[in-house]
Amino acid sequence: MYDCEDCVRRLDQLVDKELSAPEVEEVHVHLDECGDCTKRYRFQEGLKRLVKVSCEDQRAPESLREKLRQQLQS
Amino acid sequence: MAEQSAEQDFGTEAIGNLDALYRGALRLTRDPDKAQDLVQDTYARALRYQHSYQAGTNMKAWLFAIMRNLYWDRFQKANREAVSIDDIGEFALYDQMRDDLGEGPETEVLDRIARGEVVDSIEKLNPLHREVVLLVDVEGFSYKDAATILGVPIGTVMSRLHRARQQLQKDLFEYAVESGIVPGGLNKRS
Repeated sequence: MYDCEDCVRRLDQLVDKELSAPEVEEVHVHLDECGDCTKRYRFQEGLKRLVKVSCEDQRAPESLREKLRQQLQS
Repeated sequence: MAEQSAEQDFGTEAIGNLDALYRGALRLTRDPDKAQDLVQDTYARALRYQHSYQAGTNMKAWLFAIMRNLYWDRFQKANREAVSIDDIGEFALYDQMRDDLGEGPETEVLDRIARGEVVDSIEKLNPLHREVVLLVDVEGFSYKDAATILGVPIGTVMSRLHRARQQLQKDLFEYAVESGIVPGGLNKRS
């Protein structure tokens, strides 16, 4: 039987979508009956999203883009 | 309309990855000027070796691999040996804050953490941790692609990622306590 420890061990892979379909199902069986692990999972997911959005709005300077465009197309 | 040459296709696809590479370079070098230099050198090297890139494969991963190697050659060569990964033990921000979270949605506290603070925490990670967070969390590479880019087994990607996230959570927790997002914190429990 799956316990919280098994679940926590797979949380990284779950949030990274690296588990196979049967494994995902197995984790969800536990999540459905464990409020604490569900919160932990949502938190991990939220943290991953926060890391992404915190970094992704930075764009390369236009001058660099122009320079590279010329370099690549010459 | 004339068909584009293979070189033009290569150039267009390469430029399409510029923002991702620049973000990555910023995180790795932590300096906008160095980041620009690193990106320029990455493109110069990509151009030189474009014959080794197979059209239709993952160009973003290929470019990141080039950039990552250049970064380690240039900025970390001297301390490559010295970069070690400290084991900080298990740390889960959620477990630390469970009592303070109350009945609200558990992600509410995350909404109150400033994005700049998250970037700072990522930049404080040691480079081996930083690059894996960058690849998997920011750029969305699979473990397999990240492993190829870094030249390590998938298990190493997983363990570094896990430790990186622990360190990140620890750092963000300290920030959350200092900035009053969560009360008391460690002192309360020590």
